[in-house]
Amino acid sequence: MKGYMAFLKKEFFEYTKTYKLFIMLMVFAVFGITNPLIAKLIPEILGSLITDGVIITLPEPTAYDAWTQFFKNATQMGLIVMVILFSGVLSSELSKGTLINLLTKGLSRTAVILSKFTCMALVWTMSIALCFVLTYGYTVYLFPKDETTNLLFSVFCLWLFGLFLLAALLFSAALTRSNYGCLLIIGFIVVICMIMNIIPALHRYNPISLSTNNMGLIMNSIEVSSLYGTIMISCLLSLIFVSLSVVVFQKKQL
Amino acid sequence: MGVLEIKQLYKRFGHHEVLKGLDMDVPEHSIFGFVGQNGAGKTTTMKIILGLLKPDSGSVTVCGEKVTYGESKTNRYIGFLPDVPEFYGYMNPMEYLKLCGEITGLTKAQIKSKSEELLELVGLKDQKKKIGGFSRGMKQRLGIAQALLNDPKLLICDEPTSALDPIGRKEILDILYAAKGKTTIVFSTHILSDVEKICDRIAVLHEGKLALCGTLSEIKQRHRLHGFILEFESEKEASCFESAEDLKQPSIRLSRNGSTVKVLLPDGDMDGYFLLGLLSQKRIVPLKFAVMEPTLESLFLEVVR
Repeated sequence: MKGYMAFLKKEFFEYTKTYKLFIMLMVFAVFGITNPLIAKLIPEILGSLITDGVIITLPEPTAYDAWTQFFKNATQMGLIVMVILFSGVLSSELSKGTLINLLTKGLSRTAVILSKFTCMALVWTMSIALCFVLTYGYTVYLFPKDETTNLLFSVFCLWLFGLFLLAALLFSAALTRSNYGCLLIIGFIVVICMIMNIIPALHRYNPISLSTNNMGLIMNSIEVSSLYGTIMISCLLSLIFVSLSVVVFQKKQL
Repeated sequence: MGVLEIKQLYKRFGHHEVLKGLDMDVPEHSIFGFVGQNGAGKTTTMKIILGLLKPDSGSVTVCGEKVTYGESKTNRYIGFLPDVPEFYGYMNPMEYLKLCGEITGLTKAQIKSKSEELLELVGLKDQKKKIGGFSRGMKQRLGIAQALLNDPKLLICDEPTSALDPIGRKEILDILYAAKGKTTIVFSTHILSDVEKICDRIAVLHEGKLALCGTLSEIKQRHRLHGFILEFESEKEASCFESAEDLKQPSIRLSRNGSTVKVLLPDGDMDGYFLLGLLSQKRIVPLKFAVMEPTLESLFLEVVR
């Protein structure tokens, strides 16, 4: 436990000192600010491009457009940035040998994996929360009349998907020694999820639904209860991935 | 009972068998020189002791506790200095030692006093620079400080002096020698002069086994050549001694270089008294009468040949 706390502190210190925390927060803050702005400005930008003779009728932008931007940016760019940033979570320490000193000081390998996961989850939570707060503030300001449903639940789903991705990332990192190998495996896992998504019957149990149904939830076209199974499965899979990372890392020859 | 006991250790990497039944016993409060060629398996052995590698068979005991691979509880007795110690470049020495101290479970006050004491010992006391800007020698010294932080019963150093300049090497050896009273030190090297300088016991690893093991004097005793060097005042005396009838035996090897005569006696009942008797018979007093000591280098070469 003391090893876990000490290493967690070190991890967080490392993310601040190596600017990883800063990059994550910056990226998500930029998204947070631009989401509602883009939603508001796109019709005007398109409008200014229209020349004589062409008539395009654009609907009035709404809060839904802002949240569409939010879920699109956060799930696509945001998660990709996160995965790339964290892909070296184990490999950098293994290839440099910085972990050897601490392991021979009595730090348990379980503590290494758990504190690394905790810290990544913490950074992800901070980033998505920052992005959400900024988008929310601007959306309320720019589109005061529009109302959304299940907003927090929808964001929670996205957050959980990020957590699932981090657990899978950690597992991939424990399996390989290089961060390219890690990226390859995590890509493979995501592709499997996407392929499984072709079969409608599996939608309910596929973690990727957590990141594809967000708009439906907000517009109330998807029932909240329909995602309970997915949430359960995602939590379970994340738990399995983290446990497997511990097991694999225990067996790793350093 | 020794601090470190290794029994019948086997380890192979693919087709390459590195350790083939290694047995080793390190008694308390010794400086144990672990010698071997590059690739002899020194680092592998150390990593197995630390539970970082899994042995194919055999057992390692540290302070009476068996080492288990992966979750190695015995590491709390051990301080380890890797051959190229790597640290988090964004920390300064104080911050790094604080992290190490927290992991081993020292209190805040202990960490502070211990870190200051150790940084003083290794000469990094007023170093506020980030570790990222450290030279190899400075990293090596910080490595020793972190290894000694938890007052280990066993200090394992993997080639602490290779790739350092002569001054840096001497400093590292001095630090290790100073730590001798407090802990048992196992250090691997292929620089034999370092071993002779500070070690009281040595083991030579060759082809996966210990080819030679014991205290330095024991080993030299065991491999004594029965050789003598006699130096005379003049060449005349030397040749007079050389031409003695008793020395004209095929089992005795003689060589003369100016006024110095080297005599190699066969193993058995002939020894120095025989030569002293000859001298008094001939009524010659040599300037120097010395027993030829085997050097560690000659022993090493003999073993690994």
